[in-house]
Amino acid sequence: MIKKVYLVGNPNVGKSVVFSRLTGVHVMSSNYPGTTVEIARGFLLTDREKIEVVDLPGTYSLEPTSSAEQVTVSLLSELPKSEIAVINILDSTNLERNLLLTLQLIEEGFGVIVCLNMCDEAGHRGVSIDIKKLEEQLNVPVIPTCAVTGSGIKLLIERLKEAIPGVRQKLDHEERWKEIGLIVERVQRLEHRHHNLREILEDASVRPVTGFLMAAGIIYACFKIVRFVGEGIINKITDPVFFNFYQPLLEKLTANWQEKGFWFHLFIGDLINSKIDFKQSLGLLTTAPYIEFGMVLPYVVSFYFILSLLEDIGYLPRLAILLDNFLHRLGLHGFAIIPVLLGFGCNVPGILSTRVLESKRERFIASTLISIGVPCVPLQAMIVGLLGAFGGFYVAGVYLVLFSLVVIIGVILNRTVAGFSPEFLLEIPPYRYPPLFTLAKKLYFRVKGFLIEAVPVVMIGVLVINILLYFKLFDLVTNIFAPIIKGLFGLPKEAIVALIIGFFRKDVAVGMLAPLALTAKQLFIAATLLAVSFPCVATFVILWKELGFKDLVKASLIMISASIVVGAILNFAVLR
Amino acid sequence: MKKLALTHIKANKKYKIVDVAADANLKSKLMSMGVYPGKEIIKLSHIGLKGPVVIKAGRSMLALGHSMAAKIVVEA
Repeated sequence: MIKKVYLVGNPNVGKSVVFSRLTGVHVMSSNYPGTTVEIARGFLLTDREKIEVVDLPGTYSLEPTSSAEQVTVSLLSELPKSEIAVINILDSTNLERNLLLTLQLIEEGFGVIVCLNMCDEAGHRGVSIDIKKLEEQLNVPVIPTCAVTGSGIKLLIERLKEAIPGVRQKLDHEERWKEIGLIVERVQRLEHRHHNLREILEDASVRPVTGFLMAAGIIYACFKIVRFVGEGIINKITDPVFFNFYQPLLEKLTANWQEKGFWFHLFIGDLINSKIDFKQSLGLLTTAPYIEFGMVLPYVVSFYFILSLLEDIGYLPRLAILLDNFLHRLGLHGFAIIPVLLGFGCNVPGILSTRVLESKRERFIASTLISIGVPCVPLQAMIVGLLGAFGGFYVAGVYLVLFSLVVIIGVILNRTVAGFSPEFLLEIPPYRYPPLFTLAKKLYFRVKGFLIEAVPVVMIGVLVINILLYFKLFDLVTNIFAPIIKGLFGLPKEAIVALIIGFFRKDVAVGMLAPLALTAKQLFIAATLLAVSFPCVATFVILWKELGFKDLVKASLIMISASIVVGAILNFAVLR
Repeated sequence: MKKLALTHIKANKKYKIVDVAADANLKSKLMSMGVYPGKEIIKLSHIGLKGPVVIKAGRSMLALGHSMAAKIVVEA
């Protein structure tokens, strides 16, 4: 009787896609190894029973060499082998490499069913595999599937009960490779083809000259597209809705309210020139929705659209190769670029994905650098929205300051943190054309995740600020911090409120700066401080979970000292 | 036959791995990814002076950090 089904396979063979197909639970998938850092669980419903399905991080063998692989191996020994079935997922375009794990699983006595995934792509690439012969060779069921479209999944479920432990002689790796060589010779036929455009691009993007040229072009294009799409949504959709529809509606509804009353202040906030000002009123129905939906959401959509596209095509590992040299100087290796890019969306998934880095040292450095120098989309959107009004020069300046900080702190950490960082070793996936509906689905789940996470916190944040402002409770705090804020950073004392709020939500914090009528210099310093200083509370909690308390304190001290130094230098030396 | 490190060979030519001079853990990791003595590989590129080396081993494309690549000995 099978109690649990485990999905096991090499990295980047589509385990998570198969998982979604079996359970109906959506989990993140991308075209690079190591997307799954958390174990996903779901249930497969057949006519008679409900079986738990566990999606495990990818592994090349049953002798673990990284913490993610360790997890996979230890979970597999949780239950007696007679109570579990292993769906071993293989990438049909690379049968040989995938079979090592398959043989190991069968030898260890697991009940195995082989899911030969990406069969359609193998066909396109001139690889044909004789399924019957492979079944004979392995003595386990083999099902060809294409998880992205869903073909073969039904058959996989039907034949799941045939996954029963067999007997196979135990070999060592060398003998296994020999055996695999023989098996592959018998079951696989390769059709020789000339290099097509895709393969030419695959190779060109990892060669020095063409690689860097392509990278520069792709990054530039991505920036342009994120801005173009984001601004497009704001100008064509959200702003018209807010200004032509929502604002007149609100003004009509509240025409009879007393302007100075508590409720008016709570919902609408302060009127600027006796009109609602979405950026400055700070009311629950005015500024709160405008920040989230009018300023941040458009960029969340455009950023995640581009990121998902790059992920699914398979470009990111190539960027990792090109940046390996540079990141080595910061105590990281090339693959760290992926957590960094995810961090630009939101620091939380960025820091979570540092789990793909092998050593604790790397994870500490990467997490610290992400929380200091990688502003999330909400923060960036607000910086562009407010500081951008003074000119793109200032916005670029903030990025330049953050980038320099990352380099300086990274080099220092690399020299001072004990231990060494392991070498870069990464399998580079082929380019794939992501089907539009999987892209759309991914974007939908990311945007939904953002809304669920952000909207309540923003509402509560604005509510608290609003009440504190109404009862003038901020005066006490502002007066205490006035000497630092004014003397050191050259900001009006009220700015401390924004910096404190930044601990809860960065976008609301920048929004708080709007009514203060800051100069370009002041806004520049405040925005930089918000990025460098404490991350928001959600990131903070993740840092604590991932690094432990001691390293969290270390990281926090680095953030605080960096903010003070940078703020003061900007105020006294750079911007005059 | 001349033996060379992966960092010192020409791109786009076939070589055979003769030795992986790494510690046991790395050796077994490389082994499980299909990089082991006897395997034929083609070097695709080498980024910068101390950058990673990209190879094709079988149907996989792999990127190895510079000092890791220096430990892999091949012959033509």
